[in-house]
Amino acid sequence: MSNITPSIIHSIEAINRDYICALDKLDMSAWLGCFSQQGTYTFISEENERRGFPIAFMLDDCYERLQDRVTQVLEIQDDSTEHYTTRHFTQLTSVKELGGNRYQANFNYSVYYTQKDTNLSNLLCVGRYEDIVSIKNEKGIFEQRKAVTDTNVIPRYIAYPI
Amino acid sequence: MPNDTTGTPFEWPAKYNEVPKAVFEMDELWPQELDNIFYGEEWHPIVHRSEIPNPGDFKASELGEMPIFAVHGEDGTIRIFQNTCTHRGTSMVTESSGNKKELECPYHRWLFNLEGDLVGCPNSREFTPDFDMKNFSLPKLRTEEFNGLFFVTMSDKTPALKDYFGAEFTERLSRVLGGDGRLKLAGYQKVIYDCNWKAYCDNDGYHAPLLHKAFAMLNWQGGKGSQNVTINGHLSFESELTMPDQVDALKDGSILDFKGTSTSTGSLVLMSFPLTVFTKHLDMLNIRYAYPKGPKGIEVHYAYFSHEDDDDEMVKHRIRQGSNLLGPCGLISMEDASIFSRIDKGNKTPGNAIFQKGVKDEFKLPLNVAQNDESGNLPRWEHYRKVMGIKRAAS
Repeated sequence: MSNITPSIIHSIEAINRDYICALDKLDMSAWLGCFSQQGTYTFISEENERRGFPIAFMLDDCYERLQDRVTQVLEIQDDSTEHYTTRHFTQLTSVKELGGNRYQANFNYSVYYTQKDTNLSNLLCVGRYEDIVSIKNEKGIFEQRKAVTDTNVIPRYIAYPI
Repeated sequence: MPNDTTGTPFEWPAKYNEVPKAVFEMDELWPQELDNIFYGEEWHPIVHRSEIPNPGDFKASELGEMPIFAVHGEDGTIRIFQNTCTHRGTSMVTESSGNKKELECPYHRWLFNLEGDLVGCPNSREFTPDFDMKNFSLPKLRTEEFNGLFFVTMSDKTPALKDYFGAEFTERLSRVLGGDGRLKLAGYQKVIYDCNWKAYCDNDGYHAPLLHKAFAMLNWQGGKGSQNVTINGHLSFESELTMPDQVDALKDGSILDFKGTSTSTGSLVLMSFPLTVFTKHLDMLNIRYAYPKGPKGIEVHYAYFSHEDDDDEMVKHRIRQGSNLLGPCGLISMEDASIFSRIDKGNKTPGNAIFQKGVKDEFKLPLNVAQNDESGNLPRWEHYRKVMGIKRAAS
């Protein structure tokens, strides 16, 4: 019998919702708030992941790197970027218990972007999230969020996390 | 030569430091660029041995609009073929990479070994009377290797690789390739940039560090260095690293550590004509294979490498830097990426792009250029103009 209760599903869906809403509003502080102090974020191509190549598009392998991602988006790259807004669409596909109130969750995602200079919308990338979510008092938080993109050739440079 | 957008014959400005913006926008130049440049007397890098290290490994690629693929033979030799069956033209490999024991065309089951020889074809007794399998090997491209990197050319007239690049470029390229070419592939970042291929190569190789706000925020000052250009449009740039003791802007400054042995060779940027960039920034070893998508758009594959002698810590460090500093999302390179398309948009206006820094005489081609001179791009433009047969206006 599965130990994955509706409450656990709710907590996992809730942290994912907080995450994608933060990005769609480009609220990088809220994005950072989705990760634990041990949290990591990776954005990697499906090709590299499948072939065992570690190079990623973004590799925030410690909390300090997550903090620096916020600095990069808000302060360092702001004046040169052709800005765009995103809409993330996700679907929970699996949840597995890891023990110690930790869960491995997978979501499919597709991300559309609307470029601010053209106001045209297009698909930015599609793929899956491979997450490790820690749940305490029914509140989930990411220990790991890995965005593996099937879009091995991305259609433009990507300025913000997926 | 086609007319420009106003209907007058396309002509290059008299001044060497001026590049007509129309050259980025005239779609009708593309067929001639294919013939004169991509299928002409130039060498194009296709694959490093570390990308296909085992017999049967292959990598699909493109030369201009022509599909090609490199395959590691049972005999250890890497060969590069046109991606087409010698029977009816079906493409032989359809994935970007993989491993095959042999190469079979699915259409009529013609079978080729990894060396490209036709070794089987059903019903051959019913073929033309003089049919001989020996005459139907996969079409092989002229290939030369340097430090494990394989280049192809469509012309028999292209000079030998070392003569084509010259001693200085070759020496610097060897260092990007780890000194001895004993590299291990760490992975790719692949992206499409919304610009003409020439807008990409005019700005990705070397440009003024003023673009990089990241440099200023990281207290990253440029060190001493030099820039070398060749008459046939290759450019190489080298500078020492003067890294700050502390990076206040970042919580994790280790991303900018330099673990190499000599700060005097901390940064190498090379661009081979027509459009390939090779870099060794900090501890990153990077080849940027670039594929124009016709006159609009360019697909760039950033390939990253470690060295076979690296310990685990160094491999991890190279991966952290490659995944966060360069490429289409990188702290440094993303600023470059944004410029490609912004320049492409700006080039839809009349007139010329005008180079200034380092230009001492507008009516002479500069071949002695200083470290930060943008005039280092001008020999490439002059080579492009000549190869394309575009007339320069009288001064």
